[in-house]
Amino acid sequence: MRVLIADDESPARDKLQRWLGEQADIDVVARSEDGLQAAAAIEELRPDVAYLDIQMPGLNGLEVAAQLEQDTAPLIVFVTAFDEHAVKAFDLNAVDYLLKPYDKDRLLRSLIRVRDRLGSTESRASAVTTARGQTNSSDRLLVPEGERLQLIDSTSIDWLEADDNYVRVHTAQRVYMLRRTLQDLLSQLGEQRFARIHKSAAVNISAISSFTPLFKGDYEVQMRTGQVLRLSRRFKDALFARMGR
Amino acid sequence: MAVAPTVISATGTHRSVAALASSQRVLLVIWALFWSIMAMVAVQEQLKNSHVRWWEPLLWEGSSCAVATCWMLLQRRAKRRYAQYLDQPLRWFWYQARWLPLLIVTFVGGIYSIRHGVYALTSETYEHWPWPYIFVYEGFKVVMFTGLWLGIIFGFDSFELWQAQRRHLLELQKTLAEAQLSQLKAQLRPHFFFNALNTISALMHVDVERADRLLARLGDLLRASLQTSDQELTSLREELRTLELFVQIMQERFADRVSLAWNIDPRALDRKIPVMLLQPLLENAFKHGVERSVGPVNIAVSANLEGESLIVAISNTGSTLASGYRYGVGLTNCRERLNVIYDGQAALELTSDPGGVTAKVTLPELKS
Repeated sequence: MRVLIADDESPARDKLQRWLGEQADIDVVARSEDGLQAAAAIEELRPDVAYLDIQMPGLNGLEVAAQLEQDTAPLIVFVTAFDEHAVKAFDLNAVDYLLKPYDKDRLLRSLIRVRDRLGSTESRASAVTTARGQTNSSDRLLVPEGERLQLIDSTSIDWLEADDNYVRVHTAQRVYMLRRTLQDLLSQLGEQRFARIHKSAAVNISAISSFTPLFKGDYEVQMRTGQVLRLSRRFKDALFARMGR
Repeated sequence: MAVAPTVISATGTHRSVAALASSQRVLLVIWALFWSIMAMVAVQEQLKNSHVRWWEPLLWEGSSCAVATCWMLLQRRAKRRYAQYLDQPLRWFWYQARWLPLLIVTFVGGIYSIRHGVYALTSETYEHWPWPYIFVYEGFKVVMFTGLWLGIIFGFDSFELWQAQRRHLLELQKTLAEAQLSQLKAQLRPHFFFNALNTISALMHVDVERADRLLARLGDLLRASLQTSDQELTSLREELRTLELFVQIMQERFADRVSLAWNIDPRALDRKIPVMLLQPLLENAFKHGVERSVGPVNIAVSANLEGESLIVAISNTGSTLASGYRYGVGLTNCRERLNVIYDGQAALELTSDPGGVTAKVTLPELKS
């Protein structure tokens, strides 16, 4: 079992590493010191389990969970010093949480739960969904910037383009490649702001400048950037209804 | 004897009304009882007198009761207007007594019109003493009974006022207790303590001596927090000692992420300052500077004398004030305390520049 530890305090990381490392079947693959590092390490190393401290600079533990892809997210155990209101929103079947200071027994109990759920994609998805509900994850998106990750404002996104296992995120300045499905990205960013225009593309509704009809009920969409996209007739009605046309 | 049932039913009502505990209803019942007894006495007195028929005393008392009840209702309507004088009984009675002349005239006029009217309906004449005598006789009775009833009303209204004030006081005490509790909670800062405990629990496995030292620091800090309520002022020296305890614990937690600089004018060390005033400011520097930044953060604490004033500044890098930020519980508490202790002469300001945030406290010398 590959485990990631994220806590901004080094004694707290050491404590987790000490006890988790004693377990024969556990391999601690990463120790992250802040939220962005944790998200990058999860993306790169794809651990089975992540012990996330909630209070971290950059991106807090809940925000890290909210930015993960539902199906591929690790199982999450939150670690926190205080019985935060937000933590109580999680279904214990999806996420366990350790209250600091915890003892070894309590940590081992969390491992029993983790092992039970290792095969369950349901737990992962529901953990991510709840985390998204507890943070404003529809306003910000975590994107790769060279070796690192950074947060961009979701209003700055013009459109999203699915491409095999990736999604291209188009902004006015540049295009980011995310290893996620379009479906998952849309569920994070919220259907409020984005709408599908065909099977493999979605637009930021406020980035549309005009429509031009084509043959057979298809349309062309002119973006504020001058770019032209195709709106398939399958998604036309839904989009027009939302734009009040 | 015909009035007897009224008395019983009135007593019956009295019991259920007492359960309602509304003093106004109790007053109403006493009023009804009073008039029932008056009627009963009048009937009994006239029973021996064969010239008087049974209904006559009832009419006399009934007419008096009707007019008096009108005045009573008027008085009750004006209750609020006179409530403000309840704590000055003489004044209260005087304001009520000013209505007496009008009361006597309307009372005598009212009851005698009713009586003459009813007698006229039965084609008889109502015979009574000459008017001047009547006015003196009835006027005397009115003054006597008004005095009695004003006494009773005063008692009831005062009781009501006392109850309302008591309730208000209890609510006030409750609010105050809640405020004190929330202040205590703010001082105990669960996040800080739980995190510190976790650090100790982690250190125990690698360095027992260090864990032990940290535990002692935490104990000292907790003790200092709890002592806050006992005393209002302490020396800057003592307050800085508490800050150091806090810093030592925080440096264990965030070892390489924070560096502290102390710049203290030794002449300032014996100045008195409000106990636990600086602690929340330093905590803010950690909370907003260190805990939210990925990179290393510098915190500087300085204390200087400028003329008569002591100036303490705590600044941190790594954070700026958001535009439109609002003071949190900690800062609001600090400000309120300063206002009370220094009578508005002290100041607490937050300033922000690209380099970080500074909290500056200016304390005038306390004249004791």
